[in-house]
Amino acid sequence: MRDDKHTGFAILASILAAGISSAAFAQSAADLVNDNKNPKNVLTYGMGYNAQRYSTLKQVNRDTVKDLVPAWAYSMTDQTGLEAQPLVHDGIIYITNHNRTAAVDGVTGKEIWRVVHEYPPEVLRVVCCGIVNRGAAIYNGKIIRTTLDNTTVALDAKTGKEVWKTKADVDFNKGYSMTVAPLVANGVVVVGVAGAEFGIRGFLDGYDAETGAKLWRKHTIPAKGEKGSETWEGDSAETGGGSTWVTGSYDPELDLVFWGTGNPAPWNPRGRRGDNLHTNSILAFKPKTGDVVWASQTDPFDPFDHDGVNALVQADLTINGQVKKVVMQAHRDGYLYVLERATGAFLNVNKFVDMNWSSGWDAKSNRPILTEVSFKAIAGEKVEVWPSLSGGTNWHPMSYSPVENLLYINTFNLGMNYYAPPPEKAVAGQRTLHVELTPIKPEFQGHLKAVDPLTGKAKWEIPFKVANTAGTMNTAGGLVFTGQLTGEFIAVNSSDGKILWKFQTPSGIISQPVTWEKDGVQYVTVGSGIGGVYAMRTAAPDVAGVPTGSTLWTFKLHGK
Amino acid sequence: MKRLCVAGLLLCAGSLFAVGARAQDQADLAKAGFKIYDNNCAQCHGDRLVGSGITFDLRRLKADERPRFENSVLNGKNQMPPWRNVLKPADLDAIWAYIRANANE
Ligand code: HEC
Repeated sequence: MRDDKHTGFAILASILAAGISSAAFAQSAADLVNDNKNPKNVLTYGMGYNAQRYSTLKQVNRDTVKDLVPAWAYSMTDQTGLEAQPLVHDGIIYITNHNRTAAVDGVTGKEIWRVVHEYPPEVLRVVCCGIVNRGAAIYNGKIIRTTLDNTTVALDAKTGKEVWKTKADVDFNKGYSMTVAPLVANGVVVVGVAGAEFGIRGFLDGYDAETGAKLWRKHTIPAKGEKGSETWEGDSAETGGGSTWVTGSYDPELDLVFWGTGNPAPWNPRGRRGDNLHTNSILAFKPKTGDVVWASQTDPFDPFDHDGVNALVQADLTINGQVKKVVMQAHRDGYLYVLERATGAFLNVNKFVDMNWSSGWDAKSNRPILTEVSFKAIAGEKVEVWPSLSGGTNWHPMSYSPVENLLYINTFNLGMNYYAPPPEKAVAGQRTLHVELTPIKPEFQGHLKAVDPLTGKAKWEIPFKVANTAGTMNTAGGLVFTGQLTGEFIAVNSSDGKILWKFQTPSGIISQPVTWEKDGVQYVTVGSGIGGVYAMRTAAPDVAGVPTGSTLWTFKLHGK
Repeated sequence: MKRLCVAGLLLCAGSLFAVGARAQDQADLAKAGFKIYDNNCAQCHGDRLVGSGITFDLRRLKADERPRFENSVLNGKNQMPPWRNVLKPADLDAIWAYIRANANE
């Protein structure tokens, strides 16, 4: 309770501060809190602190979407993947890729400024999953982003001029890199790190949003002797992974940030026996201090790289007649987790894709019930596993419709043959998987599913030969937007799954669509630009021939 | 004549043996190369060298392009990271053997 009051006060203080100092360019704490209620702007990753990726705009709707046409396209001048979610403030779009940040006039498509970021090319040796960036944060006139070399930089939103720059004190030679879109919560910039394929020890950093000063670091894995270190065999925690490479969400009332932690390292489990806390967990922490209020682990001792960093979407759901404030995660492991935001209690766990490594959730012990497949895998026998390491879904965020009460998830239908030989010692900075894998790919490798959050069952689904790896976004116009690796940007009826509109962009879509409004016109913006590890590795050669080159596209209704 | 024949056979057998050993060496080298490739290169160049065309297809490298291979791998090129002081000459030999064993021509 004390914390609630404290937050209220902090927000009031920032409203006052914003009113006095930078009224014209305020994206104060209060603006960010209200982001999901103000559909004109997109000020947060997830289109609102609740990360629902739902917009109340409805000029573009099931009837009018046939008239949706491109307004402009903007070239990122680059051949790598465009995964980022754009931000929009007062009609100006901010977009990032691995080495560029740009501000573009959202109405005309004209570039306002562009900054090229240098990073040492050697860092690309420890980039597991594509030469990408996932987006920026905006706060008090600053655009804040990370670069691959573990640096967070704040730029003046008007000019692109650097305001501050903070390098996390870790060595990329030891496997650390950053692709994450920062989250600004209660005045603190929270960033996470990637590298669980390279034996890192994962962490979250909190920086002062005005100065970049480091406020705190929280490791996701205990140091030797700390509580939880007994859940690791020998020294295995030191290289235990637990990365934090996908942006969490924030509940301003509870003043809690929710953030998913990734897989334990190496993938081969045989040298790190134990629950491996706090890998594959959802953490809830105070943004000002990083103090963890609760931690709920979904996959103790994960052998399959079911890297639990997936989007954490908040909603109010009616469960057994009671309205519960929940946070939901469609996990790589194939389960849809519904947890209570205040306590971290598991309220509901159902599978949203086929799986064979677990046969259900044990609500008594709060652990997945393992099958023979899991026991054999851990014992070093060859097994066929569903879903594969790519997961029942991957990092690309889902969206939630409070109107339909459905989650829109681009799911994977992929298995793998798996073998963990006798383990080798993990070395930080060296890719240390120590498993032998071959993919199993059915004819239809993915679906866009509309999933009931309380049953995991799909109300409708659309099969795709090549799985989608783009985020989804949905609107009060009754539409779900997403993109295909082969470049089609599609709008789907959110209630029955009919594809109502399609536009062929020049490259594959792996980004996160957004919608916004300026002068009474609704715009829809998405990046096109194939890349990312799925396209480069797993989906090959099914997407061979899809042209590279990244562009940002904006659409509006014809005649508007 | 007989002697020559015997000498010839010996010569022949000797060189056959050498060729066989070399092939075996190459196969072992390629196998070692696969492991190094899988750990360090596959995330960008594709599982078992099969990419989607987003990144340079290493199977396109021709037999006489070893210098190009070595130069690019050691020094990097655009978003291709440099591996100098990380990969040893023996590692490069192994990756090259693996690539050549699966090359287009
Ligand atoms: C982070 C991604 C990445 C990793 C990891 C990577 N490469 Fe590359 N590689 C690239 C890209 C991108 C190019 C294309 C460079 C260009 O021409 O702009 C490339 C090009 C190449 C080329 C051709 C360069 C030329 O001469 O045109 C070779 C050879 C090569 N890579 C070998 C390797 C080997 C061997 C490894 C592993 C030791 C490796 N790469 C790891 C991204 C990567």
